[in-house]
Amino acid sequence: MTLIATRPGPGAARPYRFPQVVRRSAAGGQVVAAHLPGQNLAVALLLLDGGAGREPVGKEGLGGVLAKALEEGTAQRDATAYALAIEALGTELVTGLDWDSFQVSVQVPVDRLSAAVELLAEAVRTPKLDPADVRRVRDDEATALRMDWANPGPRADAVLRADLFGADNRWGRPMYGDPESVAGLDVDDVTVFHSEWFIRPGTLIVAGDLDRIDLDALAATVFTGAGGAAADRGGPIEAPVSDRRRIILVDRPGSVQSTLRLGHPSPHRAHPDHVPMTLAGTVLGGAFTSRLNHLIREVRGYTYGIRGDFASSRRFGRFAISSGVQTAVTAPALVEAVGEVSRTQLTGVTEDELAVARSWRAGQLSVELQSPRAIASALTTLVVHDLPDDYHAQLREALLAATVEEVSAAAAAHLHPESLTLVVEGDSAVIRDELVAAGLGDVVDHRS
Amino acid sequence: MPDSGYPWPIETTRLDNGLRVVVSEDRTAPAVAVNIWYDVGSRHEPAGQTGFAHLFEHLMFEGSVNVAKTEHMRFIQGSGGSLNATTNPDRTNYFETVPAEHLELALWLEADRMGGLVPALTQETLDNQRDVVKNERRQRYENVPYGDAWLRLLPLLYPPGHPYHHATIGSMADLNAADLATFQAFHRTWYAPNNAVLTVVGDTTAAEVFALADKYFGGLPSREDIPAAPDGRAVPATGRPAVETVTADVPAPRVYVAHRTHAFGTPGYDVTTVLATVLGSGRGSRLYQRLADGERIAQPDLVGAYGVDLAHAPAPLIATATARPGVSGDRLCEGLAEVVDELATVPVTAAELDRAKALLSTMWWRQMSTVDGRADTLGRYATQFGDPARAGERLPAWLAVTAEQVAEQATELLGAADRATLTYLPEETS
Repeated sequence: MTLIATRPGPGAARPYRFPQVVRRSAAGGQVVAAHLPGQNLAVALLLLDGGAGREPVGKEGLGGVLAKALEEGTAQRDATAYALAIEALGTELVTGLDWDSFQVSVQVPVDRLSAAVELLAEAVRTPKLDPADVRRVRDDEATALRMDWANPGPRADAVLRADLFGADNRWGRPMYGDPESVAGLDVDDVTVFHSEWFIRPGTLIVAGDLDRIDLDALAATVFTGAGGAAADRGGPIEAPVSDRRRIILVDRPGSVQSTLRLGHPSPHRAHPDHVPMTLAGTVLGGAFTSRLNHLIREVRGYTYGIRGDFASSRRFGRFAISSGVQTAVTAPALVEAVGEVSRTQLTGVTEDELAVARSWRAGQLSVELQSPRAIASALTTLVVHDLPDDYHAQLREALLAATVEEVSAAAAAHLHPESLTLVVEGDSAVIRDELVAAGLGDVVDHRS
Repeated sequence: MPDSGYPWPIETTRLDNGLRVVVSEDRTAPAVAVNIWYDVGSRHEPAGQTGFAHLFEHLMFEGSVNVAKTEHMRFIQGSGGSLNATTNPDRTNYFETVPAEHLELALWLEADRMGGLVPALTQETLDNQRDVVKNERRQRYENVPYGDAWLRLLPLLYPPGHPYHHATIGSMADLNAADLATFQAFHRTWYAPNNAVLTVVGDTTAAEVFALADKYFGGLPSREDIPAAPDGRAVPATGRPAVETVTADVPAPRVYVAHRTHAFGTPGYDVTTVLATVLGSGRGSRLYQRLADGERIAQPDLVGAYGVDLAHAPAPLIATATARPGVSGDRLCEGLAEVVDELATVPVTAAELDRAKALLSTMWWRQMSTVDGRADTLGRYATQFGDPARAGERLPAWLAVTAEQVAEQATELLGAADRATLTYLPEETS
C-alpha cells in the first residue's frame, strides 16, 4: 500500500472577500451592484415588493400568473416578437417570487446587458395584459399546478403549512397557490396587482464587471416612468406552536414511498437567534453529515435523503423536515426522526458536530458565491432584510464564533418536538394502522 | 465570434502511473474545484449487473483505508466545501469545491479512495447503500408521474446488448443480486490512476497541484489490462419506427419523440445541439411557437427539446410535449411529429439560428462562470477527447453551424423510420 496515512492540515487561510458592493440612487430608484472584474456574464435583477405576502387571501398564485402574463406582449410588441427579441440576446426573462419579493431578471454576456434590461423594463412596466391572454395564461398556470400537484410533495406541503399557520391567513396557504386558487383568479385581479406593485420603482440589482456596465443608464431604463412610495411591509407574525403532536395522513394510493413533512412555527428572519438557530438546524438536518441523514439514510437505509432546517422570511418562519421513505418503514422512520429532534432539543449539540456545521456554513459563503446569479441572489438578501454591505463577512465571523452553549440554547428554545405536525402523504391502506400504533400522536385523515 | 470558449490557462501532466492531471489557475475567488473523471459508466455493465457503476459511486463515500466511514463527507463539509458525484452511461465523476487552503485535504481524500477502497468495503456498507439506491430509484423514477420515461426511451433507441440499452439506475433485480466480491473486482478493474483524469481549477498553481498529485497519487499502481466497453458506435437502423404507449397514473397525455444522432464531440453533434435549441429551447423555439402558442395543444411550461451529451455512440435527441386539457395523445403526437418533420422541409431562418446561438453562448458562459463548472468541463475533454484544451473548441463550433447543416441532419437522421415515440396516456378515471 502506497497511500499516505496522515490527513493533511489546512494551508494558510485566504482572507474572506465578498465582491465590492456599490449602492446608489439614480433615476428615482435604488441600485445595488457587485463588481465582478473579468466576468463575462452579467445578471440584472429588478426586485419588487410584490411577493406572495402581498397577494390577498383567496388569490394565491396571482404573482405567478402575472409573471407569465408579462411575456404575452407589451405596449411595443406582441408575445412572439418579444420572445424573439429577448432570446436573440441570449437570455430569457426569469421570474421568481417568494414571501417577501418578486424578482425578474436577465443573464447575458456583459455587452448585451443594456439591451436585455430594456426588454426587462418593457415587460415589467408596460405589459399589454390583454384580457384574453391573461385568461389563457391563468388556465395554463392552473393546469401547470395540477401537473405539479400530481407529484408527491405539494399536497403534503400545503397541509403542513395550513396546520402551522391557519388556512385563513395568506401565509397559511401555499406560496404559489394551488390549482383551485389559480383557476379562480380573474383578469382584474391580475391588472390590479400589477398596477399596485409593479409600477413602484423597486431596487435594481446588478452583478457583473462594473467597468463594462453603466449603472446610471440601466437605472434610467428601469426606473423612468415608475412611481409610488415604498409600502409598509408589516411586522413579525407570531404563530403559536401547537399544544400537542399529531399526524395528518394524506392518502396517495399505490405510493411506493411515503412523503414526510414534519414541522412547527419558528422565529422570523431578524430574530437575534438567527445564527445559532441556523447552526442547530444544520447539526440536526441541514447537511449530508447531519444527525437525521446519518441515522435515517446512512445507518437505516430508509431513504435517499432527509433534510431539516429553519427557514424564515421577514414576517414568519418555520422549522421543517422533509423526506421520502420506503412505504414499509414509514412508522419507524417517523419515530426515529422525531427522536432526533427530541434529542437535539434536550441535549443540544457537541463541539465536534458544531465544528463541522460552522466551518461548512462559513465556507459556503466562498464556495457557493461565485457566479453572477449567485452574487445577485446574495445582494437581494441585503436589500430584502436591510443588511449592510459587509453582511456576508459579518455573518461568516458570527458563524465561526458561535459556541456549543449558544447553539444548544437555540436548539432548546426553538425546537418543539412535542408540538410537531407530522404530515404523511402515502398509501393510507398500508400505513395507517402502523402510524396509529407508533404512538406519536393522534392520526387525522386529511379530507381534500 | 470568440476565438476560444476557454480563455483561461490550462496546464497538464501525466504521472508515471498514468494519472492525467489538469490545472487551470484562476485567482478570482479563494476557492478550488477538484474533479475526477473515471472512464467507467453504465455502458461498461454486463447483463445482470445493471446499476452497478452507480451503486459503486455511493460506496466511494463510505470510507477507505485511512478514512473511516462517514469521515469523507465530514472532512469536506467541515472544511467548508461542497461535494457530490454523478454516474451516467459514459463515466463517473467525483467533485468537491473547497476554500483554497483545503486543496491538499481534497486530494488526500480522493487518493485514498482511488487506492484504498477495497479493504474498507464491507457487506454492511453494501447492504446499506443498496437500500439507499433502491430508495433513490423509487423517489426519482417510480413514485412520480412520467418518472420512468428515460428508462423506457433507451431500449427503444438502442438494441439489447448496446451499451446504452439500459439506464444507469439499473434494475431492482440486479441491485438485489449485487454481491461484495463483484464490487471489490469493480474497483480493482476501473478505479486505476490510468483510467482517471484529475482536474483542479481555481486559487492555486499548476506547480503546486502537480507536486501534490505526485505526493498523494504517485504511489498508486496502474492497471495494464483495463477492458474496453462494448463498442456502440454503429447502431443498425431497423427501418421502422419504435412506438410504445403507456397507460399510467399521469395527469395528462405526454409524448416523447427521440432520435439517435451523432456522438457528443463530433461536428455532427454540434449541429444536433444547435438544432435542438432551434426546435425546443425557449419561447421563440419552433415547438413553443407552434404547439404551445400557435395551435395551443401543448402546455407551455412542458414543451422542449434537448440532446443528451453522450460521447460513445450516436447520442439521443429528445423532443417532448404534454397535452393541454381536452387534447388527445394522438393529436399531440401528430403535432409534435409535424414540427420535427418540418426541420427538413422548412428552412431554418437566420433569426432562428442567431437566437439559438445566443442562447447557447449564454449557456456556455454560465457553465464557465464557476470553478466547478470549468473543472468538470476540462475533465470531460481530457477523458473523452484526450486533451482538455479542446473544451475551447465547442462554443466556436456551435457558432459555425449553418442552416443547411441543420436541414441536412434533419433529412438524414430525423425521418419517421428512425423515430422512437413514447406516449403516456392517463388511466380512465371513473
